[in-house]
Amino acid sequence: MPINWTWDPFEEFERIRAELDRLLEWVSPVRSIRGEEIYPRINVGESAEEVLVYIFAPGVDPGKVELSLEGNVLSVSGERDSEAELGVKEVRPERFLRQERFSGKFSRVLTLPESVDPEKVEAEYRNGIIVVRIGKKAERRARKIEVKAS
Amino acid sequence: MAERQELAPRQEGRLERTPRRRAMSPPVDVYETDEGLILLADMPGVTPESLEVKVEDNVLHLRGEIAEAPGEEVRPEYVEVRGREYYRAFTLGPEFDQEKIEATLKHGVLRLFIPKVESERPRRIEIRTVQ
Repeated sequence: MPINWTWDPFEEFERIRAELDRLLEWVSPVRSIRGEEIYPRINVGESAEEVLVYIFAPGVDPGKVELSLEGNVLSVSGERDSEAELGVKEVRPERFLRQERFSGKFSRVLTLPESVDPEKVEAEYRNGIIVVRIGKKAERRARKIEVKAS
Repeated sequence: MAERQELAPRQEGRLERTPRRRAMSPPVDVYETDEGLILLADMPGVTPESLEVKVEDNVLHLRGEIAEAPGEEVRPEYVEVRGREYYRAFTLGPEFDQEKIEATLKHGVLRLFIPKVESERPRRIEIRTVQ
């Protein structure tokens, strides 16, 4: 079975959370139990050769995102104007029937595995996700140990 | 303008054919102009191919899937976005022209323009000065 973000060992927790969410949504349709909108949300994955960071940052200008890696500490900051996509000349606040999307400055810092090599970083903005690939230091890569038959 | 439930979010789940895992509910902004409504939804990772926008029985359905998925060799270390599917639905009032909804997708943000039917648009009344 392929492993992807749907992988979750806490299936039961997920079910309970979903139940709670549904209950709370019944009370307030806008906010879930997790409260405020986290922006951007981040997923981190690791393979034998690299560490992958997925920064879910829809609707930002990639030129205005500050991304840096110092040792194994990754920082991402920037600003998003949620009203830009409206394409309206003059935005009148009273004309919003609903406003849930994040707007303003954001900044997040996260610690990556120590094996990352800050010299080997690549970042790309695709469909609203900043994908950061960081190579691992050669000596820190997990080595496969072969078991020989005697 | 009088308060109307023009675009009422629908209670999710009950009518849904029980999905294995609940889809993520994208945050939306809804803005009213004289010509119609602008709806913006954050759906990072969705591509035009993995997006579905449809109106059925006066219900607007937004559905999308994160196209990008790490390969099998990637082990999740830290996860804030669980699942790959987005879903949200809204009830559309009769004042909107369901046939003429325009959708664009850019940098993971879906923008919909839902026009009002002609008769619902505010008419500009010219005031003439009487000499």
